[in-house]
Amino acid sequence: MKRQLIKLFLAILPIFITISCKNENISKTLIVTGQGNHMWQASSEAIKQILEETGLFSTTVLLSPPEGGDMSGFMPEFSKYKLVVIDYEGDAWPEETSKTLMEFVNAGGGVVMFNAKSDPGGTVPASVTVSERHNFSIFFRPGDHPVTKGLPVRWQHLNDQITQGMEVAGDDTKVLATAYSDTSFAGSGKREPMMVARNYGEGRIFSTMIGTPDNDKNSAMHSTGFIVTLQRGAEWAATGAVTQEVPFDFPTMAGAVIRPDFKAVTLDEAFGNIGNYNIEKSTKFFTFLQAEIRKTAGDENKLLALEKEMVKVLVSKEASFDSKKLLLRELSWMGTEYSVTAIKKLSEVPELKDDVEYALERLNILN
Amino acid sequence: MSEKSSRREFIRRSAAAAAGVFVLPEIIPSTALGMGGRTAPSNRFVMGCIGTGSQGMSNLNDFLNLKEAPQFVAICDVDILRIERAKATIDKFNKDRGCRTYVDFREFLEKEKPDAVSIALPDHWHGIIYTEAVNKKLHVYGEKPICRTINDGQTIVAAVKKNNIIWQTGSWQRSLPNFHRGAELAINGRAGKIKFIEVGLPDGNSIIGTPPVKEVPANLNWEMWLGPAPKVPYRGVSHWDWRWILDYSGGQLTDWAGHHIDIANWGSGHEHTGPVEISGSGVYPAEGLYNVPVEYDFMCKYADGIEMRVANASRLKHGMGTTWYGDSGWIHTNRGNELTASDQKILDEVIGENEIRLYKSDDHWQNFIDSARSGNQAIAPIEPAYRAISVALLGEIAMTTGETIQWDPEKEEIIGNTRASRLLRRPYRKPWTLPTV
Repeated sequence: MKRQLIKLFLAILPIFITISCKNENISKTLIVTGQGNHMWQASSEAIKQILEETGLFSTTVLLSPPEGGDMSGFMPEFSKYKLVVIDYEGDAWPEETSKTLMEFVNAGGGVVMFNAKSDPGGTVPASVTVSERHNFSIFFRPGDHPVTKGLPVRWQHLNDQITQGMEVAGDDTKVLATAYSDTSFAGSGKREPMMVARNYGEGRIFSTMIGTPDNDKNSAMHSTGFIVTLQRGAEWAATGAVTQEVPFDFPTMAGAVIRPDFKAVTLDEAFGNIGNYNIEKSTKFFTFLQAEIRKTAGDENKLLALEKEMVKVLVSKEASFDSKKLLLRELSWMGTEYSVTAIKKLSEVPELKDDVEYALERLNILN
Repeated sequence: MSEKSSRREFIRRSAAAAAGVFVLPEIIPSTALGMGGRTAPSNRFVMGCIGTGSQGMSNLNDFLNLKEAPQFVAICDVDILRIERAKATIDKFNKDRGCRTYVDFREFLEKEKPDAVSIALPDHWHGIIYTEAVNKKLHVYGEKPICRTINDGQTIVAAVKKNNIIWQTGSWQRSLPNFHRGAELAINGRAGKIKFIEVGLPDGNSIIGTPPVKEVPANLNWEMWLGPAPKVPYRGVSHWDWRWILDYSGGQLTDWAGHHIDIANWGSGHEHTGPVEISGSGVYPAEGLYNVPVEYDFMCKYADGIEMRVANASRLKHGMGTTWYGDSGWIHTNRGNELTASDQKILDEVIGENEIRLYKSDDHWQNFIDSARSGNQAIAPIEPAYRAISVALLGEIAMTTGETIQWDPEKEEIIGNTRASRLLRRPYRKPWTLPTV
């Protein structure tokens, strides 16, 4: 069967570029929703929270007329925004509206297409299908695109559908991510594009096919892989660059990761929770700390600041033995004299005897 | 009692062209009664196994499949089910029930006097057991990586040198023609002067989560499995999956260093040296027991100006394997008999008699036995094995600290970094200590 071409943005009319937002850190963002093949109420709310979490976007949600309603007056004022997120699949937009959106991009605006099986305001071709929901892995194509730079190359994603039969058209378009659609889940048996980036005129378009909401836990949207790529894709579309750090909890091939409230872990949160460490519940506050240690790249002041926080947990009466064991292991190589006194005080605790010996033996090397 | 040791002693003396050689009378062990058509017992090469898991069994079968198979007389493992499996294989082959079994390697090394031992264990045990076996003057076929820390590796290398035994690392790619040919073309400059090397090792890809604490099965001695590693409750993650946990392994990176990094070093003349600067980053899982880097990407600079990038295969153009980039082309080699180059002419090149000829072996296990018998070095001796895993372990340290590491490959020390230097070794849990050489 011949594949349907999905054409991304054909209009090329240049218009005046709004530069008023150029020096502002926060991108005004319009989320367009109101109709869809998925639960747009859930997805648009999730997108709003995910984008605002970064502190880089201020969002406004715009609802279209309901399905079957009068679309003739549907004309959002795209040019008032730096970024437009399209979470919409339904009745066709007036031609003028689609054209205006294209002009907005051409003039430097950013667009994020969320889970879109058609052009904005267009109709979904019959040749486009979806797989059953399942867990699958996503692969970033080699390259240095700002959206994917520094992220793991392969990673696990949760309980999502793979859209099949999409073909990417247009100049300056890059497929950033693909997933193999397994035939055991009504898949195409092919690698399908999952994320696409396009430079268009002065603007940019980022399209992500993952994050399909469901009626249950909505784990495809809570998956850190979806959250982080949406945040990075949105920043790139809005500004042309990505300033967000690679988070410690991006999923890997060793497993998908969930953010129950869409929020990233903070240092205060980590140190507030690390004393409750229970390996069977979660390891994330400790792996967050390890990532923070790596990020210091040997900077003495930053390491000492972390060490002081670690010692606070170490001497706390409330903190679990398991948490103290982990901290002793880290301090065994990155600790200074500052830790040694606190560690020695723990040598009388039978549950920590081995770990204290381990830490002191290593700390003595070359000290 | 130690007729085998005497024979080795004899061989070593012969190899060293020592004068005044004499041979002690041979005593034929009762377990070595010859079966029809086999090598006479007195000429047999007698071996034991320590570690009879998947790799241990694989090596055992590779030895037993040789035309003149060695005679296995004893095995050791901390899991009784695995002992039974290995004993059944050996007894069936020997057509007797004589294979002796041990749960404690110390008892094995005390009582058994084979010519050689095949050792395949989780990495955290290598420092102690390799050194103890070598100190007993046994020839060793030892699995890669030969150590979990650089300090462990230095001890093992010193023990092998002092005891003058034959060591063969399980870096069997050296005994395959495509790797040999690729390395020989590279080292003889057929891609020009080597400037850059890429080594692709597997991506991490296992999902183990955090299973609940379980009762240790009756067949497994968990305390002995852990040995010098920190004490943790049993969660059913031991055999095979130990390689995803930093206490026992460094993941795919350290598991495969003894293959493609080893080949890279062979073809670039870095077999007996190491990098001077190492930097890079890893990707670590946020959740679960799995805490080795799932992805890794680091750069090593050598004193001769060559740079080597080591990364998980998905990040590299050539994927898995070794690629030498010279100033006039590239040569790539990988498993599946893969040998490619930027130009077919490179692959058609003939290596002249006066050029560098790399050691040739067409069977890794036979090469070990031949070497042990002759006293000549095997194709994968200890020092190159140590240099190959050092690259991965220094990469691990660079990734753990987030720092650029300066390494002195002569003194084998990290320069000017106390924190990183502490990571060159690990304290052992009592009562275990790294043996002295």
